[in-house]
Amino acid sequence: MSAARGTVFAETMTGTVRLRGEDRERPVRLELTARSEDLLLPHRTTAALVTGRLRVAGRADTAVTGTLEVSPLARRRIHYRLECELDGERCLLEGWKSVTPRRPLASMTTLPFTLTAGDGPEPAGTGTLRFRTATSLAPFLASFRFPRRDDPRAQWAPRWDGTAGRTEVWYTTATDPATGTGLWLHHELVAPADGSPAFAHGWAAVFPPQGKGPVEHARFGPLPWGPAKGAGGFTADGVEAVPGRLRGTAGGLSWDLTEDAGGERPLYTFPRWSWRHPLLPAAQIVPSPRARYTGTVRHGTSELALRAAPGASARIYGHGNARRWAWLHADLGDGDVLEVVAAVSTRPGLDRLPPLVFLRLRKDGRDWPRGGLRPALGRAGLGRFTADIGLPRWTVTGRAGGRRIAVRVDQPAERTLALDYADPDGSPAVCRNSETADAHVVLERRGRGGWRTEAQWTLAGTAHAEVGDR
Amino acid sequence: MSAAVRGLVAALLADAGDGGWPAGVPRRLDGLLAAMPARTRHGFRAAAAAVDAYAAARTGRRLDRLGPGERERVLAGLAARPALLPLLDVVKVPVLLAAGTERLLAEPPRAAAPPAPQDPPLDCVPAGEWPDRSRADAVVVGSGAGGAMAARTLARAGLRVVVLEEGRRHTTAEFGRRAPLDRFAELYRDGGATVALGSPPMVVPTGRAVGGTTVVNSGTCYRTPDRVLARWREEYGLGDLADPVAFGAYLDEVERTLRVARQPRDVLGRNGTLALLGADGLGWRAAPLRRNAPGCRGSCQCVVGCPSGAKQSVQLSVLPQACAAGARIVTGAHVRRVLTEPDRPGGPRACGVAVRRPDGSELEILAPLVVVAAGALRTPPLLRRSGLGGHPRTGRNLAVHPATSVAGRFAEPVADGGPAVLQSVGVEELHEDGILVEATAPPPGMGSFVLPGVGRELRAELEDSGRLATLGAMIADRPGGRVLGREGALLRYDLDPRDGRRLLRAVRAMGDLLFAAGAEEVLTGVPAAPRARTRREFAAALEGVTARKLHLSAFHPTGTVALGADPQVAPADPTGRLRGVHGVLIADASALPSCPEVNPQLSIMALALAVGEGAVRAAG
Repeated sequence: MSAARGTVFAETMTGTVRLRGEDRERPVRLELTARSEDLLLPHRTTAALVTGRLRVAGRADTAVTGTLEVSPLARRRIHYRLECELDGERCLLEGWKSVTPRRPLASMTTLPFTLTAGDGPEPAGTGTLRFRTATSLAPFLASFRFPRRDDPRAQWAPRWDGTAGRTEVWYTTATDPATGTGLWLHHELVAPADGSPAFAHGWAAVFPPQGKGPVEHARFGPLPWGPAKGAGGFTADGVEAVPGRLRGTAGGLSWDLTEDAGGERPLYTFPRWSWRHPLLPAAQIVPSPRARYTGTVRHGTSELALRAAPGASARIYGHGNARRWAWLHADLGDGDVLEVVAAVSTRPGLDRLPPLVFLRLRKDGRDWPRGGLRPALGRAGLGRFTADIGLPRWTVTGRAGGRRIAVRVDQPAERTLALDYADPDGSPAVCRNSETADAHVVLERRGRGGWRTEAQWTLAGTAHAEVGDR
Repeated sequence: MSAAVRGLVAALLADAGDGGWPAGVPRRLDGLLAAMPARTRHGFRAAAAAVDAYAAARTGRRLDRLGPGERERVLAGLAARPALLPLLDVVKVPVLLAAGTERLLAEPPRAAAPPAPQDPPLDCVPAGEWPDRSRADAVVVGSGAGGAMAARTLARAGLRVVVLEEGRRHTTAEFGRRAPLDRFAELYRDGGATVALGSPPMVVPTGRAVGGTTVVNSGTCYRTPDRVLARWREEYGLGDLADPVAFGAYLDEVERTLRVARQPRDVLGRNGTLALLGADGLGWRAAPLRRNAPGCRGSCQCVVGCPSGAKQSVQLSVLPQACAAGARIVTGAHVRRVLTEPDRPGGPRACGVAVRRPDGSELEILAPLVVVAAGALRTPPLLRRSGLGGHPRTGRNLAVHPATSVAGRFAEPVADGGPAVLQSVGVEELHEDGILVEATAPPPGMGSFVLPGVGRELRAELEDSGRLATLGAMIADRPGGRVLGREGALLRYDLDPRDGRRLLRAVRAMGDLLFAAGAEEVLTGVPAAPRARTRREFAAALEGVTARKLHLSAFHPTGTVALGADPQVAPADPTGRLRGVHGVLIADASALPSCPEVNPQLSIMALALAVGEGAVRAAG
């Protein structure tokens, strides 16, 4: 059964283990984070993937991955199956809490387990882990999250409903990990404001590493926009941007890539509702925020072979380009990702405001700030995130929920490609894009002694950014 | 040991306190009672207290303070009341058991037996050393005839099999070392005092050890009769399973494994020879039995574990082969529940077992296949504990072989100290009528024959028991029993009137056999008329006697989770799968749809083999 929301929680247990060939028990500690596609309901059986860490005093401090089956009522069992490494050997830690109504607390908190390694009949170790309610219950309960479940593939389908004066964009950026080359694929549907037929166009660009050489780019289209075929996405005369696949030809550039979204859920830079109900002038989301691209890109006589190149695919739908804007996609590593859009609207009145910042940081699987409009609007206008848009450097700073962030982006001119944009109503704009930009991000957390750095990232030539104006 | 019990033992055995073997009986009896279930223990002690109170009321002194003569008079006063005789017989049974052992120990030792052979290796792990959590491809509950065969079949198919056994492993060397009674108390469930309530109540002894009841049976191996297979096909819809050719092939395989052969006459013993002589005199069909004991040395201790390792109980034959194929045996493992996953698509599915160790802690083993082979008396309670006993016929249809025995006194010693086979000769003259007579001479006190009399009379019988030959008869019954309960098995069995008539006919036949063999006197087993010196007296002694007056035992319980094609009637389908849940196989005596009419070890093993192979085939 698919649920609208999944479940994420963290659990810490401590206990003892007796390893094979040893006559004493060693303290052991297991820290787990469990992620389930389904909502955790006690009367059902919920499967989850777990990652975490196992520490066996004096013997091991190792990462674990595995599965968890939570079924306290139906199967009366909470079953852990974790793979880990012990003394350089792959090992399976398996155990389950056997829930009984006679001793609900003891049975729900005691996890006897067996460690097995190799094919031998004797286990590599046996032990018992206990969930200590006195110390672990509060963090355990506080760790529960029920994130909305999104199928990234569904977000690729065209949003355009036939209304005149709309623009819709599918764009993908990636960095070749081997060479540092940046790639930008832009697919755009334009429904002109004057009611003339919608058309598709776009471009591809290859950014040499560290600005060694000019940025190559080529446009395709305009092409008549037909009803999208296949799994939904952008499809126009041999150029295709659909879930899992990107291919096409533009001038001397051709590409054929597969996308592995890695099971990552979409990142909503703009509030989720603004994507579903287009009330804002435009909205941007990232269906595949931490994708990996594999395939080839041919430009001129040379060929770029990508193998699991990190990047992202994003979507925009709205009335047109902003008056002024800046955009950043930064893959921070270890599963963390930062997406920033700062924009000044073209609407009369709104165009006098400072840039509205839409910022989402996904760190350790959680998105920050929690409210989608929090960076743009602050609390009743106070405490908004601020952006200083300029070139070659632009910055964004802001503070929310006991944390603050400072983002600095550098787009040196030699690594930047300037392109002319056109809105559905024909008004022009200029975009300066770089898929080999630098970025520096500092995340701080407020503690008793004031602000302390929580994390710091420096991206040298691997940030994807652009700045646009008119 | 209470004074009442001490007094009762002294009175029953006419112990004058002059030393000798009766002095050790109270202590040995105490050990035996300790192994029995509490209700039996309390019942015995209450009976002893009642006799003690009667003595106090009659003489003013308690039984153990009385002299031998006074004790004799008190017991004679009790024995004079016919209504009390059956009760006294019940009280005598454990006392005779203890007395038999003490007498045996007091006798000059027989020639030293050759050292016991090394048992084939078994991969046995005590439950205390088994991890709390483990996994297997299949779990087999019970290591008896059915469980062992199922385990071997599954292990040979490449599955990781864990066999769970509540008892422990007993080795041949250990059988050779320990006194029979010490083994008896440990090898039998409830110390051998499992009783089926009903009219009349009957003792249903079953084994509890690695190897199950095959460790303590007499090794008699009968193939399932064709008429029984025909009944299974026609009445129970087991067309494929009970096909004579297919089932015959399974029986062949089991016989090969157990090395079944006709018992040679060299160690048959006088008891068996006399039975043959009697049958010969009457012109009846009789022959030494087919047994699974190649090289039997005639130790005559089958029912407490073969001390020479000749009897191919499954722990010496099938289980070593299962272990060689990778199966492991966990001993001291009482299976609490079969674990199920009720929320599986397609209906509930078994996923393993929860097991209690002797120290009370629990372990669990997950396995997608659970083979229940806990025996006809223990399988239904296990299913009920697991929430799988919902079928209305689970625990019903209990068939047993009601059995009784008759002894004959001969001029020459029968138990002459030489080799003898415990169950040696089968007289099949009346087998078509559902009566199977087998010459059975168990160690003193362990048979179903109860010596008559109390006090000096009983003592004299005991001292002279070496001249007794014993025949036993078991009859094919109409299944009329039930296994009730969840935690322990509560048995209810009412003898069908037809079966009562059969039993009496069997007693008459055994009397005829003994007289034909030259018996001076036949002990009828009827408390009111215990002795007959001629056929006429024997017929007169049985006049007006009903089966309820006989001392009955019941052997070979079967049929409590019967296989069958009709879902209304049979809790398990014709391939052995328990209805209402996926992944549970029934592969023990409880799966037999009706009474097999013969000693059932081969039938159970062939059926378990068929069920196991069916499961392997179904799994692809």
